[in-house]
Amino acid sequence: MEKNKKLPVAKIALCMVLLALPFLFTAVGFQYGVLVCCFAFLYIIAVSGLDIDFGYCGQISMGHAAFFAIGAYGSVMLHQYFHIPIIFTMVIATVLAAAVGAVIAYPASKLVFHFLSLATIAFGEIVYSLLLNSPKGVTGNAVGMFTDSINLLGFSLSSNESFYYFGLACTAIFLMAKWLMVNSKVGRAWVAIRENPHAAGGMGINVTKYKVMAFAVSAFYTGFAGAMYAHLVRYIGPDTFTQKQSVMFVTMMLFGGTGSILGPIVGAVLVFSITEGLRMFEQYQMLIYGALLLVVIVALPGGVYGEMKKLAGKLLQKGKGGEKSAA
Amino acid sequence: MVKRVLLEIDNLCLSFGGLKATNDVTMHMEQKKINGIIGPNGAGKTTFFNQISGVYKPDSGSIVFDGKRIDGLKPFQINEAGIARTYQVINLFKKMSVIENVMVGMHPRLKANFFDSLLHNKKQKEEEAKAREKALDLLDFVGLKEYAYAQAGALSYGQQRLLEIVRGLASDPKLILLDEPAAGMNSTEKVELNVLLRQILERGVTILIVEHDMKLMMDISDRIFVLNYGKKLAEGTPAEVQKNPEVIAAYLGGDEE
Amino acid sequence: MLLQILVSGFVLGCVYGLIALGYSLIYKSSGLMNFVQGDVLTLGAFLGYTFYSLLGLPYWLSLICTVLTAFVFGLFMEKFVIRKLLRKSVLAIYIVLATIAIQYILQNAIQAIWSTKMLNYPQIFPVPSVSVAGIMVQSESIFCIVMSFVCMAGLQFFMKYTRFGTAMRAAAMDAKAAQACGINTSLSTGISWGIAAGMAALAGILLGPIYGVFIMLGSTIGRKGFAGAIMGGYGNMYGAIVGGILLGLVETLVAGYLSSTYKDMIAYALLLLFLFVKPTGIFNERAITE
Repeated sequence: MEKNKKLPVAKIALCMVLLALPFLFTAVGFQYGVLVCCFAFLYIIAVSGLDIDFGYCGQISMGHAAFFAIGAYGSVMLHQYFHIPIIFTMVIATVLAAAVGAVIAYPASKLVFHFLSLATIAFGEIVYSLLLNSPKGVTGNAVGMFTDSINLLGFSLSSNESFYYFGLACTAIFLMAKWLMVNSKVGRAWVAIRENPHAAGGMGINVTKYKVMAFAVSAFYTGFAGAMYAHLVRYIGPDTFTQKQSVMFVTMMLFGGTGSILGPIVGAVLVFSITEGLRMFEQYQMLIYGALLLVVIVALPGGVYGEMKKLAGKLLQKGKGGEKSAA
Repeated sequence: MVKRVLLEIDNLCLSFGGLKATNDVTMHMEQKKINGIIGPNGAGKTTFFNQISGVYKPDSGSIVFDGKRIDGLKPFQINEAGIARTYQVINLFKKMSVIENVMVGMHPRLKANFFDSLLHNKKQKEEEAKAREKALDLLDFVGLKEYAYAQAGALSYGQQRLLEIVRGLASDPKLILLDEPAAGMNSTEKVELNVLLRQILERGVTILIVEHDMKLMMDISDRIFVLNYGKKLAEGTPAEVQKNPEVIAAYLGGDEE
Repeated sequence: MLLQILVSGFVLGCVYGLIALGYSLIYKSSGLMNFVQGDVLTLGAFLGYTFYSLLGLPYWLSLICTVLTAFVFGLFMEKFVIRKLLRKSVLAIYIVLATIAIQYILQNAIQAIWSTKMLNYPQIFPVPSVSVAGIMVQSESIFCIVMSFVCMAGLQFFMKYTRFGTAMRAAAMDAKAAQACGINTSLSTGISWGIAAGMAALAGILLGPIYGVFIMLGSTIGRKGFAGAIMGGYGNMYGAIVGGILLGLVETLVAGYLSSTYKDMIAYALLLLFLFVKPTGIFNERAITE
């Protein structure tokens, strides 16, 4: 109970730090840090979404780059061809990503793990080749598309600092929504399906419906992240939406730890920072990345956050055990 | 007063390849009674259960529950209709807490939709609070309240069996199917189970139970159905069944464990 | 025109068949999927090029050396990565990711060792092309088809008629029972991964002289090979061959008569179509539903 009283203090401190971060970066002359944070935010949203699908509901997706692409291209194309203000295009594109997710998830919900991963890979590849060879070149094919930054109530988010606050707010909203969902009847149904799909059906849960729901929600998250990406970078090309991007999402999720709010945050931030750091190795980037990935998989199968939690749990239990034997 | 039939199964058939796992079985079960199904190993009891609960679809015949045809429905629809079940092999959600397992059992009775759950609005909050309270009551009912926030997988074997039953009861079923609930229980636990079953009956829940323990079955069942090689061999009160020469022959000649 | 297309479709189909056969073998023996296959094909093409063109070995010897190197690679991968993970009983996704990590390492290593440029094999056979049914066919294409069939037949023979093959099939059916009969199941699993890698490398050294050798040679073929395996019925040996050849033919026909832009999409569309409509494939393989 004491913990609960303390918690708001920590929360308020965290909020202050997050709000002040751009100023801190500017003060130390590390402007680049703001941009890194902007990317981190959108990755956190994308990976949190994937975690709803896999960490909670137990469905793998190796093709989430497709939803990232639908969000990004959807928003850019709606703006370019229909002149809809950007923030609305982002919302429409995100809903579109979720709808496509639901359509794919329905037949895919019957597939077991390995075949679901193949199906999602195939879906990702189909979307990728559509970007590359679109009818009448509406996606700009290999060249890609340029676009504008977000305009929020007449206020342009063209600077990294302004995008930082937009990203922070979006991340907070998406994480809050995730917390609310997983701590409800819906979240319980998802976890029940992950733990034992047959028993979940026997308990009156419409397994197909909830699987489709998890997949669509997850596509919604990743789709929105894609739209954020498009208007942060202001350029999109097919290279961003390959199989490697899907694998990157999965890596971030597993790196942090699945089935939690904090895990994907830790994973997205760590893996994004590592890949940014590896840029200096240029031609050995993938080699080091692959080796690192392999080491982490073999050494920390529970993810960084997961392993930390396990360790904390063990320590706590030791403490409790000690108390009990003392009493 | 006319006794009301809750579950009417007529001429049920199901074959796997050439094997007739359920062969023209007819059973009528009255409301608020403990109905037992016995039979030697491989008599098709679990297969029979799986047709009532929707895991298998029968080839022919009908299952009418509470005046509504339910054969061919999906498991979740059958649960919604008011039939809960437990499993022969423990099928709990191991990484969820004990209370969450019970709350998953309540799933079809909770009215909140996706957006209520997303927004945690007043309706959803009230419903969740009530559900939690009810789950605690149910856990109290079987003596698991103190473990409410423990992981289900951490419970002892007997406790896990009890949790399976409570999870089934959580959906306020009219009928509960118990598939070998006493399997692996010691004699004290079996006595407790006996008491528990009667308490469940007092709550107005009809019970259909499959069990190998003859003593328990003869003691608690109001009516017993005997299956052998997928066919119904006999039915009646425990005393009648025990005297039935065909039943005796099946058990003596059969492969009783 | 049609005959030309059919021949090149058959060449590609045989390559898909070899890759898909590897997938089936691994799935049967360990219930897993291996995402490195395609890049082992690339490795095979580069190794073959090195042995044959740079070190000046005869082609047949280069072929054997390449296949053996890849065999050892597959065996080691199973022994030092996959088995380690299995022992920790991690979620299946970690094993998938581990094979993808190895894929990245392999791709980058190939790029670092050889070059990013396209390499071409010197001519292998004294006669560059042969006339078959009125059309000229590249000798390497004929060799590719013949060798693929020899390899597929050899594998069938090995699995059916040798003691070791029987042991491997037993281990795939029921590992515990096989162990009880004194079969070393971990060895047989390792050898399945080795054979799968060997076949992929063989496909590489056969395809290299026809397509040229470059870094991305194998990765798309590897991914599309899954479509072949699924179409035939994942885990089924005959299915892998039939599915692979069918995929090669369909893809080349589509590219030849409809549009080459959508030829990659065809494989993935077929993959999705089969998974959603007929997951057990042409040979009605049940392994997928378990």
